[in-house]
Amino acid sequence: MPDQNPTQAQVDEAIEWLVKLRYDSPGPRSEQQFQRWLASHPQHAQAWQRVSSLGDELASLPAELSRQTLAGSERRRMSRRDHLKLLSLLALGASVGWAAREPLGLPALMADSRTATGERRELLGSDGSLIRLNTASAIDLRYSAEQRRLTLLRGEVSLDGNANDNRPFSIDTRVGALSTQGGQLLLRENAQGLLLAVRRGEVTLFPASAAAHRVKPGEVLQVFAQGDFQPATLHNDPWGWTDGVLSVQQMPLGEFIDELSRYRPGLLRCAPEVAGLKVSGTFQLADTDQILLLVARSLPVRVDYRTRFWVSIGAA
Amino acid sequence: MQIEDTLKPAEVDLLYQAHHRWLRGWLGARVGCREHAADLAQDTFVRLLKARQVSPLKEPRAYLSSIARGLMIDQFRRRALEKAYLESLASLPELEAPSEEQRLLILDTLERLDRALQRLKPRVRQAFLLAQLDGLTLTQVAQRLDVSRATVERDLAKALGVCYRIRYADA
Repeated sequence: MPDQNPTQAQVDEAIEWLVKLRYDSPGPRSEQQFQRWLASHPQHAQAWQRVSSLGDELASLPAELSRQTLAGSERRRMSRRDHLKLLSLLALGASVGWAAREPLGLPALMADSRTATGERRELLGSDGSLIRLNTASAIDLRYSAEQRRLTLLRGEVSLDGNANDNRPFSIDTRVGALSTQGGQLLLRENAQGLLLAVRRGEVTLFPASAAAHRVKPGEVLQVFAQGDFQPATLHNDPWGWTDGVLSVQQMPLGEFIDELSRYRPGLLRCAPEVAGLKVSGTFQLADTDQILLLVARSLPVRVDYRTRFWVSIGAA
Repeated sequence: MQIEDTLKPAEVDLLYQAHHRWLRGWLGARVGCREHAADLAQDTFVRLLKARQVSPLKEPRAYLSSIARGLMIDQFRRRALEKAYLESLASLPELEAPSEEQRLLILDTLERLDRALQRLKPRVRQAFLLAQLDGLTLTQVAQRLDVSRATVERDLAKALGVCYRIRYADA
């Protein structure tokens, strides 16, 4: 067999078959249709071989152990306190004191921080930079004598860098690196890669396998995993959450509900028939129930609370 | 259809000669341990050999460091996953305990699943976990999540698509 990968379309078809055959109870007719599909192109067999072995792998996972491990690793990632060498952060509003700097030559100053779903935190770095974490986010922050470094591990963060500190600020994300001195910028992991907004100062983006790019204040870019990027078009003010609000203009309700669900534990769903309705306004993130109430008042929709953690929005 | 090009070994070799030492230094400054940095630098070039090349390398160091950065972040996750695995194992009755050989296979699969889950929207993630780990049927998942069967089918296909890309494409 020639060593040629199946096309995306063939893989998608194979996956559809996997869903039908493994996750559902297929009748004899789907079995026959499947066999016909399999025989209709030589590469279908290869696509199926890959997809079904993926299915086998997943099916071989011991259920309870896997569930617990996934949940446990999530918790662990979120609180790597055991790795803390020294806390160089002061959580505003919490009574954590400033820690003394270790003499140089010892492991780099290191601190990490995270937020739960619905939580937002402000952190003041020992250099005077202000860092804000949005809901369900995690960062790793390390300062050394030569540089300041922030790694976005998950979620969304805004950095208001103190330009008076002359160490460069390097930022690592999954899709590329950034550097700035005293810039004000925002980073959000999303399904396509990373959203980057710059408000002030000089910020340089080093995307994977593409040339460095100077990002100007006011620019909002979508950066893709492959390294390319383009200006982002948004229905919301990306900075809204740093003021505790969700501020949207003509945002489709489906997108609005997705956005809101980032801030709420549990399930929040929007029925497809109302997902296209448009929402505009500025809403206080502190009370998402109130936001749902306001939405129900201004649009022809009904909010259905099955439990506090299971809410669906449908046509009124 | 998309043409998938990988870098030729000779090209990787040139990159290795030109940037390996620099990359080790770059990593050393970040992970604070020389051997660990050397391992990661090695892994970075191994990835490079397998990586699909979308555009010519304009900034090889930016590209190398972005691969290395991904590896570092994956390691944070991997370590968390391994610890969580051991903890979970300790809390389970012995009959479910897998053998040592199985352990690595399970951890590799879990690691990929974990990465896939991070990329999914909450509902898709939940539907996938219910079907995959709780063994619910399509109909049961649809009822539980209060969505149509067609939606669950789409969600599962989406989740499996992400798993597929991680398994076969992400070098």
